[in-house]
Amino acid sequence: MIFKIFKKELKETLRDKRTMIMMVVIPMLVFPLLINVVTSISGSFEDSAEEKKIKIGIIGDTSDYLAQKLYDIPSSFGPKEVVAYAGDSSQMLNDYRNEKLDILLFYEPNIQKKLDANEKAIVKWTLDKTKIGNQGRAKSYMQIIEAEARFLRYDALGIDEEALKPFEVIYENSASEQQMIGELAGGFLPYIFIAFGFMGCMYPAIDLFTGEKERGTIETLLSTPVHRWKILVGKMLVIILSGLMAAFSALLGLFLSIQYLDMVPDVKLIEVISTILTPTFIIKLFFLLLPLTIFFAGVMVPVSVYTKTFKEAQSIIAPMNIVVILPAMVGLFPGIELNIATACVPILNIVLTTKSLIAGNVDYLLFALSFAVMLILAGVAVLFSFRQFGKESNVLS
Amino acid sequence: MIKVEKLTKEFTRSKAQKKELNTNENITTAVENVSFTCNPGEVFSLLGPNGAGKTTTLRMISTIIQPTSGEVEICGIDAIQFPREARMKIGFLTGSTGLYARLNANEIIDYFASLYNVPKALLKERKAYLYDLLDMKGFAHKKIGKLSTGMKQKVSICRTMIHDPEVLIFDEPTSGLDVITAESIIKLIRSCKEQGKTVIFSSHIMGEVDLLSDRLAIIHNGVLKHHGTMTDFRSEMKDKSLTQAFINIVQS
Repeated sequence: MIFKIFKKELKETLRDKRTMIMMVVIPMLVFPLLINVVTSISGSFEDSAEEKKIKIGIIGDTSDYLAQKLYDIPSSFGPKEVVAYAGDSSQMLNDYRNEKLDILLFYEPNIQKKLDANEKAIVKWTLDKTKIGNQGRAKSYMQIIEAEARFLRYDALGIDEEALKPFEVIYENSASEQQMIGELAGGFLPYIFIAFGFMGCMYPAIDLFTGEKERGTIETLLSTPVHRWKILVGKMLVIILSGLMAAFSALLGLFLSIQYLDMVPDVKLIEVISTILTPTFIIKLFFLLLPLTIFFAGVMVPVSVYTKTFKEAQSIIAPMNIVVILPAMVGLFPGIELNIATACVPILNIVLTTKSLIAGNVDYLLFALSFAVMLILAGVAVLFSFRQFGKESNVLS
Repeated sequence: MIKVEKLTKEFTRSKAQKKELNTNENITTAVENVSFTCNPGEVFSLLGPNGAGKTTTLRMISTIIQPTSGEVEICGIDAIQFPREARMKIGFLTGSTGLYARLNANEIIDYFASLYNVPKALLKERKAYLYDLLDMKGFAHKKIGKLSTGMKQKVSICRTMIHDPEVLIFDEPTSGLDVITAESIIKLIRSCKEQGKTVIFSSHIMGEVDLLSDRLAIIHNGVLKHHGTMTDFRSEMKDKSLTQAFINIVQS
């Protein structure tokens, strides 16, 4: 009998455009859109920063040592123009404030003499760090000029540069690429799956309970010889499936954007993500999402049973999204790790366990603990749903 | 057969309801000690103004809600002890019944037949009979959302009758319907009576009651004010019209 209810409710749900958009279309589009937007924005910023002609203001003359050195830097390091102010610092500052200049370069007037005397010369770059590319360009110019000056000085002093290096230091990263991704972006993936799992449950929950009350079909259903708990379970299964379907659509969107839509330019990143998205990982992920989705359904059903209109149900359930997102967001912070304490915090435990799964360093005892905590909560939520659905005042208007 | 004995239903008032009614009383009695019997092959009318307790009484008989006290027997089955067994015998239809708009008529009929465990062969037979009787063949595969009110009502009737129930409960079945659609309900009630089924229906339209009823009960403020045969009611009434007689009983 549960299957009969489930089959009918699923058929109706699949015919509801609004639910299908929330369950399949939006989750499937989110990753391709996110990746597209992020790569195209960052790519266009990088391109424009590289191609941008930087105007460097100097207080001296174009024949000065640093001005000459700047001219000597090949244009492959980025186009530039040196504007000399011949001692008129107020005009130069004024032009900088009016954004006619990008960078200001200050140096001592006797810089050439100081360098010749093997003394230290002070050089100051003034730039706006909020403007992408300016700092990078100034640093790269200075590195070239400094390297040349250092080489000349070592040569003049007859010093072997290598002899001044007492150590050859190597900092080796023992973390694998997979662990790095797990730590840096691992929290983001479960966050998306959880958010869509919640959204995927929302519309069917409202439609199958409040909607049935609103349309006047619940009374007829309750007059049939079907156990009330079977009606509840049949409907809840559709809600749970919708939540999992939304999470799966998001995962499918991610897979498609990486494998077929050629959206990620970094080949190594594609390789690492492909090694993460194995069938075993997906099974483990959905194993974790299952009690969480049951919990979502168990929380939404009592609200949907209690409320009288679709609008009223939506106005209560939609803000609950924040309650779900907050613990999921904690999982995004670096340094928050899965341990006995965090494994007992609902939602956060699922984010952190998934993060460990992505990084490939999951502790299966903590995995089991997280699963058990969510399962107990899901059970409590379902029992609460059953009690609310059994109340005459909630079901009938 | 329906046998109702000292049926009472009390509801607990919510805080909002108490505030609205300006009362401190937690309990409201919707139906109080109502007793009557409906026999097979007989149409029983439950009359009463709005809020009299008709719907609550019919909901208790159809086991959708549980009585606070009293007994309900459906075809010899204790409906309070064995509600699901009783529901197998009942066909329930209300005037405000909705249908699943995203399914077509045929899918709805199949769904309800499956909930009543109607065997496939019998379902085929019942569908052929009811589709023909209700002239439903032309729209059986159309989505409910695209049907007219009259067509929807026919689907609701078909849904109510698909498992061939022995007892039919109609809660204001003609409410909000046009004369032609209401006529199809009246025909159905008559046909059920001819087939020897037990029919109970609630209404506040005296014309319908006069046309169909063998027996009637008048309920007001949850209390049964009159109970007897239609013939006795007609002969005992002092007023010219049935409506006036009904009003007088309610106001007495």
